[in-house]
Amino acid sequence: MTRLITRAAVLAAAAFVVLGPLVSLGVWSLAERWTAPSPWPQRFGLKYWSRMLTVDFLEPLRLGVVIALVVTALALVLAIPLGYVLARVAFPGRTLVLLAFLMPQAFPQLPVFASATREFYRWGLAGTVSGVVLVHLVGALVFAVWTMTAVFRALAPQLEEAAWNLGASTTRTFLTVALPLAAPGVAASAVLVFLYSLDEFTGTLLVGAPFVTTLPVYMYTASQGYELQIASVTALVLMVPGAVLLLALERVLKSEYLVFFGQL
Amino acid sequence: MCIAPLAVLGVVFLWPLAASILASFTRGGAYTLANYETVWRLYARDVGYTLGVAAAGAALTFAIAIPVCGWLRARAFGPVEFLLKVPLFVPFVVVGHALRVFLAPWAPGLAGSWAGIAVALAWKHVGLAALLLLGAFRAVDESHLEAARNFGAGTARITRDVLVPMAAPSLAVSAVLIFSSMLASFSIPLMMGRGGGAQMLMIDVYYRFGQHGDFETAAALGVVGYLMAMGAALVYLRQLAPMMRRARE
Repeated sequence: MTRLITRAAVLAAAAFVVLGPLVSLGVWSLAERWTAPSPWPQRFGLKYWSRMLTVDFLEPLRLGVVIALVVTALALVLAIPLGYVLARVAFPGRTLVLLAFLMPQAFPQLPVFASATREFYRWGLAGTVSGVVLVHLVGALVFAVWTMTAVFRALAPQLEEAAWNLGASTTRTFLTVALPLAAPGVAASAVLVFLYSLDEFTGTLLVGAPFVTTLPVYMYTASQGYELQIASVTALVLMVPGAVLLLALERVLKSEYLVFFGQL
Repeated sequence: MCIAPLAVLGVVFLWPLAASILASFTRGGAYTLANYETVWRLYARDVGYTLGVAAAGAALTFAIAIPVCGWLRARAFGPVEFLLKVPLFVPFVVVGHALRVFLAPWAPGLAGSWAGIAVALAWKHVGLAALLLLGAFRAVDESHLEAARNFGAGTARITRDVLVPMAAPSLAVSAVLIFSSMLASFSIPLMMGRGGGAQMLMIDVYYRFGQHGDFETAAALGVVGYLMAMGAALVYLRQLAPMMRRARE
């Protein structure tokens, strides 16, 4: 009996702490009138949700999805061959290459992206979609290169050796043996990179300003103007892909991938 | 083909990193330490504030994660474990805003304060801490726990005297990673609102660069951030050493 009560108490506490802020977003998104010091909104309604259907909201959403798709495609095309080489070929400097791809994760990104923005001004990339794609690509490559290296390393090399022995070229072995076997890992990597790009804020804010607005930047602008309801609606929409993923893949996703998610 | 990703990394990250370090030592084209003097004069308090908020945030994260993971190590309880994973999937910007609107109506004044920022940072990082800790706690052999239980130790005692000491290396790694991530946090404090008084270091970098247009001083502030992040870099290196060795074999 006491055990049951302890469990219920821990669950209730965890639910309050974890879900409380998320429920708050829901309450705020529906609050048409909420003035201090009332602890609860005076009037609820869907006014702010209906703003979702305007260009103000739909354009950043569309642009963010397009950028995320381009970033995902580029990151995979670039990271898959490199990941394969890093997993299979022992060359001098391999450790250095892997470490280089950790740097954007280990160093504070903001000052580096500020510096990149200055360079981008010089090259005419600041405030452009291409500039934002490039800055997203750096973070995306960190995730993609590391996951792809791990995925290829986990494949038993014997199958590829058999293909070589039968006379297949390296390219053919890679395309017809290694790549199909790595498909689930490629898919996981793609999802990770897509979400990263969709949620990316720091680089977009610096490089994209003032012309490129994605949903996180739109949300920031709304909250700065004290439009907390609009920001809350946007926050809830931004959480949808992650929530779907958590519910659908909770069992499938290995913990090594989950660690990457913690850094999104 | 394999050069292209390195080129992207070089042009968009490594070169700007080097350029910012270089810029931090120049003003108007001449080499000088004036930027660091400005940092010292105007931002010394913010550096201390940033260290304090990150320390408080990390302490809070582990004050929650350690007992909960110890409890979960003794009994599997899916719903709580699931809840702990939720923050992993909530983007940083959303966390900042969610905690702001969660705290604002009931604890006005807390949201933009150091405590509010520490709470929000802890909320986001508790998922990562739990993930790493639970893995480490589950790797501790059952026989140790049974021995402690036979001597009458309860869950709290087992967590303190068996699990934490045996998982100390993983605990240290996750603590450094989380602490440095909090030091470099930008979107959470930015979304929580910027009251008067001391600021997080990355907020200072942003305003120095964006509003004052003073890239040189912003770069010097950034270098202070890089130095503080070195701890994380070293931990990454040590953590990777065994992986590299395995790869070479």
